[in-house]
Amino acid sequence: MIEGQLRQRRQERAAIAVSSKADKSAKRTIAFRNAVSYVKQYKVAEQSELRLKQQAKENGSFYVPAEAKFAFVIRIRGIVGVAPKVRKILTLLRLTRIHNGVFIKLNDATIKMIRMVEPFIAYGYPSLKMTRELIYKRGFAKVHGQRIAITDNSVIERSLGQYGIICMEDLVHEIFTCGEHFKEANNFLWPFKMNSPKGGFHKGAATTRHFNEGGESGNREHLINGLIAQML
Amino acid sequence: MHVAKLSVYAIDAEKKATKEVDTPAVFSAPVRADIIQFAHTQLNKNHRQAYGRFKYASLDTTSHSWGVGRALARVPRVSGSGTARSGQAHGGNMCRGGRMFSPVRVTRRLYRKVNLPVKRYAVTSAIAATANPSFLLGRGHLVENVPQVPLILDNSVESITRTKDAIKALEMVGAYADCRKVKDTKKTRAGHGKWRNRRYKQRKGPMVVYAEDNGIARSFRNIAGVTVAKVDALNLLDLAPGGHMGRFVIWTEGAIAKLDEIYAAKMHRGISTETELKNVLENDAVKAALRAPIRTKKYFQIKRNGLKNRAFGKKLNPAMGK
Repeated sequence: MIEGQLRQRRQERAAIAVSSKADKSAKRTIAFRNAVSYVKQYKVAEQSELRLKQQAKENGSFYVPAEAKFAFVIRIRGIVGVAPKVRKILTLLRLTRIHNGVFIKLNDATIKMIRMVEPFIAYGYPSLKMTRELIYKRGFAKVHGQRIAITDNSVIERSLGQYGIICMEDLVHEIFTCGEHFKEANNFLWPFKMNSPKGGFHKGAATTRHFNEGGESGNREHLINGLIAQML
Repeated sequence: MHVAKLSVYAIDAEKKATKEVDTPAVFSAPVRADIIQFAHTQLNKNHRQAYGRFKYASLDTTSHSWGVGRALARVPRVSGSGTARSGQAHGGNMCRGGRMFSPVRVTRRLYRKVNLPVKRYAVTSAIAATANPSFLLGRGHLVENVPQVPLILDNSVESITRTKDAIKALEMVGAYADCRKVKDTKKTRAGHGKWRNRRYKQRKGPMVVYAEDNGIARSFRNIAGVTVAKVDALNLLDLAPGGHMGRFVIWTEGAIAKLDEIYAAKMHRGISTETELKNVLENDAVKAALRAPIRTKKYFQIKRNGLKNRAFGKKLNPAMGK
């Protein structure tokens, strides 16, 4: 009886393994193709930016690059003595703790929210490299309300498969290019728990002051990449 | 007391047995007087109505103690003036017009829970007790002239509509003597209950249990001492009045037929008689009731940085490094 059961179980497992293997390889092909196409896409985008800048220079005119579509926001102040409105906005942005980081799509509404909490955050426009590093190294998923490590593409696919995001590169692409499903992809990502900056904030800086005044808070545009690298 | 077959009695002639039926298993359940008594005392409390004193007794009048030095007791006295009531002692249990000690409140826990299996055990035990003539006589029922205990009447009794015919049916099987006894014992209750809608007391007579009501409930219910009940809903308080088992129960044929069905599950609670584990596991009915097995092993996976760890990176991004 027990042998019969074991035999049956072995057969069942073999059947599942065969079918799942076929699915898996199909998905890996798609993931591969996507990843390759994104590399091309990024390169093309980068080169077109450069070309436009060059052209402008040649013509003597100015090239105004498009405004950033998303930002990486890091909370750099703690929870003591925070005004209620600021507290509420930081909660809404999922920045509940010091050195938590989130991607935020930049639109009128969110820009205003960021402005309200400016003294508490450092933010800027991360590069592709930094976006990838963040998601690969510090990326955790929100699955059934739990913080789950992204150990396999299936974690991504199960939550975001319906939006066509099935692998890591799809996720990075959706975030970096601020695609149609940025909201879902971003919300899928648990707020990044960053390290305190290795080497410290820059010397003599007071986190309370704005970056422009020699402090740390507020918008530092592309210079956020340096800070992210320190905090990764 | 375990007989294989029981006779069903007709109601048109004196003590005429018409057919035989199998004895239901309930009648051979263990008779546990202690469980019956326990369940009865608990369940008997569930019919009580809450009672309590006025919520604001002694709180609706202000009163303060006048203290010492006035040659009076230090009890709180009604404040104010202009009326005989002012200055009178107020509030305490010792005061005239004061509230009682520890006023009775409606929140008193009047009702009692009994575990379902215990309740079921008690009922099956009480039913088994009704099949033993010694218990019936011990309880005081006049069943000497009843042809068989348990007494089963054929289904025509379920269609009796007139009480006159009901009495005649009981007479035919010698059960009316018990009812006559009940009529003779009707007395005014001693005590205050008599002014509280409990004026009369009388004994309990036969309990008539039926399967289908085609007039039986209404025709039998007004006979002195008779309790009528449907077999699906037998009450321990009726089967063992006062906690004493052995009520005289008259079953209809339909009720007896239903007993096994109702009490089989309650008695045996689905205990399997199969001794071989192999037979249970290979049984198709058992397999059909199980859900699909969860075969996926969930091991904890260690997370690595895909950009540093090549193997992990390949897993996440098949095009890594290309």
